[in-house]
Amino acid sequence: MSRPAHGLYSWIVQRLSAIYLAVFILYVLEQWIFARATTYEQWKAWLASPVNNIGMGVFIVTLLLHAWIGARDILMDYVHNLGLRLTLFALLILVLLLSGVWALRSLVLVL
Amino acid sequence: MKFSIYRYNPETGEKPYMQEYVLRDIDPGMMLLEALMRLKQDDETLSFRRSCREGVCGSDAMNVNGRNMLACITPLASLREPVVIRPLPGRPVIRDLVVDMSDFYRQYRAVKPYLIVNDPEPEVERLQTPEERERLDGLYECILCACCSTACPSFWWNPDRFLGPAALLQAWRFLADSRDQATDERLQALEGPYRMFRCHTIMNCVDVCPKGLNPTRAIGRIKHLMLKRSF
Ligand code: SF4
Ligand code: SF4
Ligand code: FES
Repeated sequence: MSRPAHGLYSWIVQRLSAIYLAVFILYVLEQWIFARATTYEQWKAWLASPVNNIGMGVFIVTLLLHAWIGARDILMDYVHNLGLRLTLFALLILVLLLSGVWALRSLVLVL
Repeated sequence: MKFSIYRYNPETGEKPYMQEYVLRDIDPGMMLLEALMRLKQDDETLSFRRSCREGVCGSDAMNVNGRNMLACITPLASLREPVVIRPLPGRPVIRDLVVDMSDFYRQYRAVKPYLIVNDPEPEVERLQTPEERERLDGLYECILCACCSTACPSFWWNPDRFLGPAALLQAWRFLADSRDQATDERLQALEGPYRMFRCHTIMNCVDVCPKGLNPTRAIGRIKHLMLKRSF
């Protein structure tokens, strides 16, 4: 389980992703509060602009990474039965990957 | 003064239970350890560890009213009644307040808590500047009482694989020592998801340390050093 560079690597990814998530959420909130887009059509256009589209894409990938590390940590703390843990890991990866594909797909569709 | 103390004797096969005690002769300024010793005069089956009775040996760590502390430096006057005393959390109980500390010591030994020097032995002492010596303040004072590690949730869940705050504080104590020459080996040994990175900066360790030490800060320093070294 103790691959070298594993602990430090996840730790740094967790922290860097947290920063990006926080900054991007603030950015979206700012856009929302100043209501540059209020209707569905306007939001679609907002999301279709390259900067927002790529930013959201990075956001989704980062969110998945962040969720993976966090959930993995929780399972490592509490679930000690190896079989159960591996099953939960597999389920978790499946859920994260599927939601990732689904979210990224809508990003492409909006273009 | 009323006490409620955890009792367990594996030899009798009885389940653990809380036993009520009342102590009448209490002197002003008395410490909890003294009270326990007076209770033991009447009930000699009551078991606990102690030695120095002045906060130096680290033997009498216990969980008092939900907090880990050293009985010998805890004034009775500071405690709410009834004083609920339990063994250190998460460790196997050997008897009453005496717990099995093997995991704790094993993790301590795992960080190689001694100077590792490859150079040939010098003619004189290995000197340090006052500044280099100062870096060890807040690290060397640890008395290995285990108040911190047994208050750490990460240590409760993985005492066999997570080093715990006490051992990690000592890991940093030797990484920070100007005379030590095993920095890379030490950092390598701390890698992986368990040994150090199970720490989630909960800071229970800082909260309970009776010597006022800060394992969380030491862990942060180790992570920084690791980061610096890996680029
Ligand atoms: S760091 Fe503090 S609480 Fe932990 S073992 Fe050392 S003296 Fe005890
Ligand atoms: S800061 Fe880390 S070592 Fe200290 S109690 Fe929290 S998880 Fe444990
Ligand atoms: S008896 Fe030594 S620390 Fe309390």
